[in-house]
Formats: sequence, C-alpha cells, structure tokens
Amino acid sequence: MIGSSLSRWTMAFFTGAVIFLIAAECLMVAGYGFPAMAAEAPETLLLVHTVTIGWLSLLMCGALLQFVPVLVVQPLRDEILVLPALLCLLAGLTSLLAGFLGLTGMLDTDIPFLLIGGCLLPIGFGLVLWTLGRTLWQARPLPLPARFVAVGLTCLAATFLLGTFFAHILSGLISDAVMIDFRTKVLPVHAAAGFGGWLTFTAIGVSYRLLPMFMLAPDAERTTNHIVWWSGSIALLSIIMGAPVEFILAGSARIASVIAGLSAMVALVCYGFDLFFFYRNRKRRNIELNSKSAIGAFAALYLSAALLLNLLATGTFANHAGALIYLVAFGWLTGLGLSQLYKIVPFLTWLECYGPVMGRKPTPRVQDLMVERRDGPWFVLYFAGLLGGTVALLADAPNLFRITAAMTLLATAAIVIELVLARRLFNVAAAVRFPEGTTRPHLFLPAIRNH
Amino acid sequence: MTIPHRDLDVRPILRDGGEPFSAIMEAVAELAPGQSLRLLASFKPIPLFQVLGAHGFEPVSREIGGGDWEVVFTPAAAPAPVVETSDSVDHGLGDDWQVPAREIDCRDLDPPEPMVKTLEGVEALAAGETLSALLPREPLFLFEELKARGHEWRGGFEPEGHYRIVIRAGSRGEK
Repeated sequence: MIGSSLSRWTMAFFTGAVIFLIAAECLMVAGYGFPAMAAEAPETLLLVHTVTIGWLSLLMCGALLQFVPVLVVQPLRDEILVLPALLCLLAGLTSLLAGFLGLTGMLDTDIPFLLIGGCLLPIGFGLVLWTLGRTLWQARPLPLPARFVAVGLTCLAATFLLGTFFAHILSGLISDAVMIDFRTKVLPVHAAAGFGGWLTFTAIGVSYRLLPMFMLAPDAERTTNHIVWWSGSIALLSIIMGAPVEFILAGSARIASVIAGLSAMVALVCYGFDLFFFYRNRKRRNIELNSKSAIGAFAALYLSAALLLNLLATGTFANHAGALIYLVAFGWLTGLGLSQLYKIVPFLTWLECYGPVMGRKPTPRVQDLMVERRDGPWFVLYFAGLLGGTVALLADAPNLFRITAAMTLLATAAIVIELVLARRLFNVAAAVRFPEGTTRPHLFLPAIRNH
Repeated sequence: MTIPHRDLDVRPILRDGGEPFSAIMEAVAELAPGQSLRLLASFKPIPLFQVLGAHGFEPVSREIGGGDWEVVFTPAAAPAPVVETSDSVDHGLGDDWQVPAREIDCRDLDPPEPMVKTLEGVEALAAGETLSALLPREPLFLFEELKARGHEWRGGFEPEGHYRIVIRAGSRGEK
C-alpha cells in the first residue's frame, strides 16, 4: 500500500458495488420488477434500491473516500470508521432488500428487516458522511469540486432521512393516514435528492477534477463552473426544502418545481459548456477509453434532460417516469461510473503494486494494465443496450426491454472481468509483472505495505 | 544595500541554444551574504523565481527592450513564504538545502508519469542533494511516497498554476 493516500477500503466498496450492479441487471433480464411489474410493486422497490444503494451509492462512497482527500489535499479524517461504515451499509442494504422481499410475500418471517435496514443504512451513510464531512470541514475554504461534493453529501443526508421515514411507514410503524399521504407527496423529493443531489451533483463535482486530470485539460476555475454550482445548489435547495414546505402550506409544489427545473436547466447548459471546454482544450490528442466512453454518459445526461422536457410538454411524465429514471440511472450515472472505474481501478492497482519501486525499477505504464482495443466494443454494446432499453420502456415493450437488458448485462460483465484482470495484472507481460519489491494487490482487501 | 549587484548575462548562452540554469546556480552559490544577483535574460525567467525564492531571494523584474529582461534577485531579510513542507523539515528556509542538482519539468505529463519521473530523479540523488520539479498539480500521492522513502520536500503553487517541489534526498530512504 503506497502511503496513506490510497483509501484502504475503496476497492472493497467498488467490489460490493459491481456485485449489486450485476445482480440488478440479472433481475432486469429475468423480468423482475419494473417494467414487467408496477412501478410501486415491492419487486420494483427491491430492484431500485439494489441499483441506487447497492451499486451507485457504494460506488460513490468508495470513489469519494479516495478522491475527497485528493480534492482538498488533506488526509481522510477518522479513517477507522470506514470499515464499520461499509459493513453497516452492506448489512443494512441486505436487510432492506430482505424487507422488500417480505413485502412481496416471497419471504415469510417475523424479523423486521425493513426496520433493521432503515436503521443500519443511516448509520452506515452517517459514518461515511462523518469522515468525509470532517475532512471537508478541516479543509475550508473549499475548492470548487469539493463544494459540489459538500452539497451532494447534504443531499445524501436528506435522501436517507426521508428513506428511513419511508421504511418506518412500510414496516407499519407509522400508520397515520396524513403521514402516508405525505409519503406519496415527498417521494419525488427522495428521488430528486438521491439522483439529482447525491449522485448527479457529486459526480459533476468530481468530474471537474478527473476530466482535466486524465485529459490534461486546463482546470482553472471559470465563471461557468461557479454558475453550475450556484444554479445546481438552488435547484436542489428548492426541491428538498422548498417543495415539502410548499406541500404543507399550499398542497402542491408548483413554484418550487418551476424554480428547481429552471435552475437545473441553467446548471446543465453551463456544465455542457464546461464539458465541451475540457474535451476541446485537452493537451492529449488521443483520449483514452475512459474519457471516450464517458461521452456516452454525458450524452445520456442531456438525453435525459431532453426526455424530461418532452414528457412534461406532452403531459406524459407520469406514464414514462420509469424510462427517464432508467436513462438517468443506467445511462448517465452507470455509464459514467463504469467508464471512470475503467481508469480508476487500473490507476489504483498500479499505485498499489508499483508505487514502492517507482523510480527504482522499470515499471509498466498504467495503460499496459488494460487492452483498450479489446474493451472498446463492450462500452459500445453497453450504450446500445441502454438506448434500446430506454426506447423499449417508452414503447411499453417489457420483453424487448429484457433483451436490451441482456445486452447491458453482457457488456457490464465483460467490463467487470476486464477490471478483475487489471487487478491481477493479467495484461502485463509476465516477465515484468512483479519487479522485486512489489507485492500482488489483493482483489478487494487492502494490502499492507511490506517494509 | 552596500554590496554591489553581481551581474550575470545569460543571453549569450540562450542565443547559443544553451541551458543557463547551472551558470545561474553557480553565480548564486558565489554570492556574498546579502549580495543581490542581477540577471539579464532574453525572456522573463519565471521558473527561476520559485527556485531562488526557496533560497530566500525576492525577484524584481523589468523589461529592458527587445524582449530582454533584467531581474534583480535580492536576498530577503525573512525567509520567503513556502506554502508547504514535509513534516520532517524543521529548519528555517535557506539553510542547509543545496542548490538543486537538477530541474525537471513534468507539467505536460499525465498521471502518474510526473510522480514516476520525479521519483526517478530523486533516486539518482546522493543523500542531501536536492531536485526541483515542476508538476501539473499538487502531488498528494508523491508527498506520501517521499515521506515513506525518508526524503524531505518543500513546495508551493506558482502564479502560473503549476506546482513546484524541491526535494532533498534523505539518507534513511529505503534503497
């Protein structure tokens, strides 16, 4: 393990995350949950939380534990809490999923799984929030990318507080009709805080650092960066704080939604300019597969915005919200996640393995850990499946959706296998794989530096 | 200042396509205590500002026509502020740090190449020798690795946005 700059448990978070992603994709291929069943069915809840907590949130937590210290150039505070956090999240999610399984009638037990999940998950997220929050707090004034993360973490807190409230309602502890009515009204707030704040806003913030780093583009702060942060923050504040208040006072959240929608559009337009700027002004002429495949994710983000506007304009939002969520979760967030894992995993593996001998022995390059030519087609297949799946959902064709889901599953599995091969340094010529003084990195458990 | 400037004109070296860095460092090493160095160059030698800044010199530059520059490096009474140092550095500035043996520019390399090149340079140093490196960003991973290998460093951002680090090879580095 090179120094303390490598987050010890990040690979374990990533491993848990991809296992849940593959599991979720298998469920979709099998026709479990939406669109074969209703959006409100417990099966759909199980699928949605496998994706949002199991895959996306674990991925984001693992990435932030690695990158927040880099963003603020400070060591992670209270690192000792990271492993308990991971264990709470894994146990909490398993309980939550078991709870949903109980709601479907598949699992007949007296154990209050929903409630256990509803307690363990906030503890797990709370511990992650504590370590990251304290690290950010010590590093004030924050650089811009870290400010995005700070807002994202606040939204994470809002998401799981609402989620815990829902878990109490679903487990029957709260049976007050007003509260149950309130639940349906703030469900969109839960989704917006999770997808828009915690996952999207944080991903945007981290991309402001990662994209210039990997493409050698200028990363000085520009006006548009600040507009993205301000308008995005206003949109999130309006939806998380404004909408519930407006519900209580006026029974609807029209004003808050309009403010949030307009600010979010401003943020997306400015972010688009920034993305264009990074790709246009990069010093590396040949961009690597991670930056190339990320374009698919950015395209999905803008396609999602266009789809949202179209659904609102045609008044068909309620019918097709599933397609929109699928495009955001699997196009934008998963697309970006897989494309960045494709760089981050080899990079961390390289540092872990070759860091100790760097400068003393010839080492392979980071690029030598992957074979881009072999892996490019998998990303193409992934985004093709994603597009097909979105169309299938819009056309209400569940069987077509299962076929396209099989395409994304195949592509994901192939990319994950390539990441495992990178961890095993499989693509590095055997003769130069382990120079003297290096140790083989574990697949997901942290290594202890042997000197 | 009672001591006259020491003059150094590196324009002929530059005109011949040479590298004036070692000549400048020799001149700096030969300065009397409190003496300033007046440098004439055919461009504004911004990279030097931080190198000599780390040795306690403050630059005052002016264009003297034809694209040429005059820079007077005056030894500051107080040490120049350096943003960061490794934990092991407990001396004041401008003490026993040698003039960098080499200066490497890693600004246009993608990660982790700047770290690889810098560590390669450091490994070639004898104990106590120093190396100066220009990096595209603050090298968090490098700091940790230098610490693990028993080297000391000082560094900070330059006005152009890149990071300059001066590393002194330790004797307790693991070889």
